[in-house]
Amino acid sequence: MKRKALAALLAGIMAASMLAGCGSNKEASSGSDTKTENTDTAGSTDDVDFSGEDPQLEKKIKILTIWAEDNDNGIILNKICEDYKNNVNPNFDWEYEMVSSDNLQQKIATLTASNDLPDIFAYEAGAPLKKLIDADKLVNISEELEKIGVMDKLDESAVTLMKGLSGTDDLYDLPLGLNVEGFWYNKALFEQAGCEVPATWDEFEEVLEKLSAAGIQPITTGGADKWPATRLINAYAVRTMGNDVMTKTANGELDYTDEGLVAAADKISEWAEKGYFGEGVTTVDTGTADTMLTTGKAAILYTGSWYTQVLTDESQNPAGEDGIGFFNIPVADESVSSATSYSMNCGNILALDKSKYDEGTAWFLKYFCENIGNVAMEELGSIKGYTYDVSVDDMDPYTKLVLDELDKATEGFAWWEAKMDSETSKVAQDNVQTLLNGDMTGEEYMQSIQDVYDMNSK
Amino acid sequence: MKRVLANKKAIALFVLPAFVIYTVFVMLPVVWSLYYSLYSGSPGLDWEFVGIDNYISLFSDKNFLRALTVNCKYIIVVTTGQVGLGLVLALMFKFWLKRCKTIIRTLVFFPVVLPTVAVGQLFSKIYEIQPNYGLLNSFLDSIGLSNLVQPWIGQESTALWALCVMDIWVAMGFYSVIYYGALLDIPDDVIEAAKIDGCSGWSLFRRILLPLLRPIVITCLVFSFSGTVKMFESALALTNGGPGGATKSLSMYMYDVSFTYNKVGYGSVIAIVIFLICVGGSMLINRFDVKE
Repeated sequence: MKRKALAALLAGIMAASMLAGCGSNKEASSGSDTKTENTDTAGSTDDVDFSGEDPQLEKKIKILTIWAEDNDNGIILNKICEDYKNNVNPNFDWEYEMVSSDNLQQKIATLTASNDLPDIFAYEAGAPLKKLIDADKLVNISEELEKIGVMDKLDESAVTLMKGLSGTDDLYDLPLGLNVEGFWYNKALFEQAGCEVPATWDEFEEVLEKLSAAGIQPITTGGADKWPATRLINAYAVRTMGNDVMTKTANGELDYTDEGLVAAADKISEWAEKGYFGEGVTTVDTGTADTMLTTGKAAILYTGSWYTQVLTDESQNPAGEDGIGFFNIPVADESVSSATSYSMNCGNILALDKSKYDEGTAWFLKYFCENIGNVAMEELGSIKGYTYDVSVDDMDPYTKLVLDELDKATEGFAWWEAKMDSETSKVAQDNVQTLLNGDMTGEEYMQSIQDVYDMNSK
Repeated sequence: MKRVLANKKAIALFVLPAFVIYTVFVMLPVVWSLYYSLYSGSPGLDWEFVGIDNYISLFSDKNFLRALTVNCKYIIVVTTGQVGLGLVLALMFKFWLKRCKTIIRTLVFFPVVLPTVAVGQLFSKIYEIQPNYGLLNSFLDSIGLSNLVQPWIGQESTALWALCVMDIWVAMGFYSVIYYGALLDIPDDVIEAAKIDGCSGWSLFRRILLPLLRPIVITCLVFSFSGTVKMFESALALTNGGPGGATKSLSMYMYDVSFTYNKVGYGSVIAIVIFLICVGGSMLINRFDVKE
């Protein structure tokens, strides 16, 4: 009899826990129902006058990014939210969530599918963003910023770059960086090998040869992370075929297997074969490559201006304040791609979900655009693509160096995969390792990209 | 107790909750995948019915075939290595080791409790070549075999094998403990009787121990097989599938296809292939069991 009772009890518990499971499920689904209802009411900021005082609306926004709260842009975003709550709108609140950058696209894809995008989220410019624009998921930033009256807070070259990347007339994202990319070099090693900063591509190759002959590893790249290596192919391709070469291939005007592009891939493969990258370049990650330059284990590194974060950190940069220099990608033919055109980008950008956008978000957006430039300068000493009024004299030499380069830039071009869809881009990155190892020729490499492009454009 | 178990209602009451949960969390997703596999794109974004197109493109997909090959090689090598070396270790514990048994057993079992990512980091340091030689390369260098110094995980010819070594090292301790338990269960008088009959060494193992261990061997094979079919986290931690696609498994490719390329439909087809390999492999292993 006792056993029977026990059995009944156990069965009861089981059944109850199952019911509980169903119950919470129901709650969750009804939660998402209310969210979809919001869709209809949101997004109307037409009749609001943004010139006056902040009306201190009650608002909670959700921010999804790829930076920890105490790191990089995470610091800036949280600082701005905090300032906004403390100084302007006490009824404002925010929820900060982080995913690893590898999972960002997947996370956003899932949230898009369930109509549950966060109010503000970090994303990748170029093809991934274009997909969301086409699906009509994003706030038209230029329209809204005009309405709010803060369009002039955005750096013009950043705006041009971002519009170019999405191929739209309007802006659908906010910059979180204004980066130039190029070659950073270790001055001491250059001196040791008797090298000058190269201005043309031929001189550049001579420098590499000279360094190699002097027993110095000429160049390093984060082959394990793949993208730094494809940037090198891009560098040569752009200089020999023009700034818009990768746009042309993405539009189908030019094949990826074009002779010039094959030559660019072959160039990198040739460097690897000559041992310019040292042994096992595909096992070197970005962090290792970064410190190899500052510690004098390699003479040149291709990377972007975000590298100043490493350079200004004494523990990571034994080369000191004047130990590392920068030169733009050397020119092959001035008429094809000029010395003042730089590889530029706006880093990971921020986008706003259209269905959740309302007046409360708009007021926050206003505060955000007005203040981020200064906050970024004060907190990180970096340029984010917004106006700021911090004096140049207070900057460290590396930030100043980046600013000088930005001033020189007359034209910008994007990175290798910017216009590729996610599959093409993945193949281009995966196979660059095979190319560096010499298991693939330049032609096979470009063909593998062309194959995926053909398959997806069918 | 007998009365309870004879009652069909009682059995149903006990089995049903687990069965419902199993159906919801295991069977339903499989059926769901089947349904997904008939669509292109991902739910909410370009979600279109395409019939069996996804299945057709599977056969001409070079990347899929490559991932399949990599996965098969990995399964064969790692399963054999884990189960085989586990057995060797267990025999060593039982027959050869006289002293420090416990310490050695603990040491061998130790990697099992380490998180995979930590093991991946550890081995990437062991195999390191740039900027400094790792443990393996500096060892080779110091004993005068500097021509063998190479980027172990940075080249296609060695990356997969380097990964296999790591995964065998991690799990063999686990299997050795299982075997050791089974060996202890074999009565000493059986072994003694065999020895008196003139059976020793290889023949003792072949004719006495192995038949007695057979159920355990099969269990271990199933464990190891189902673990290696899933090949994902260790490859991700050590090589991230590279160089190129040299260590990219089916699950990694499925992940890429579903979540990076946003082709959940096609990803589901690959998931079904993995499911079929699991079912087929387990059935094959179990066939050894029913012979007698």
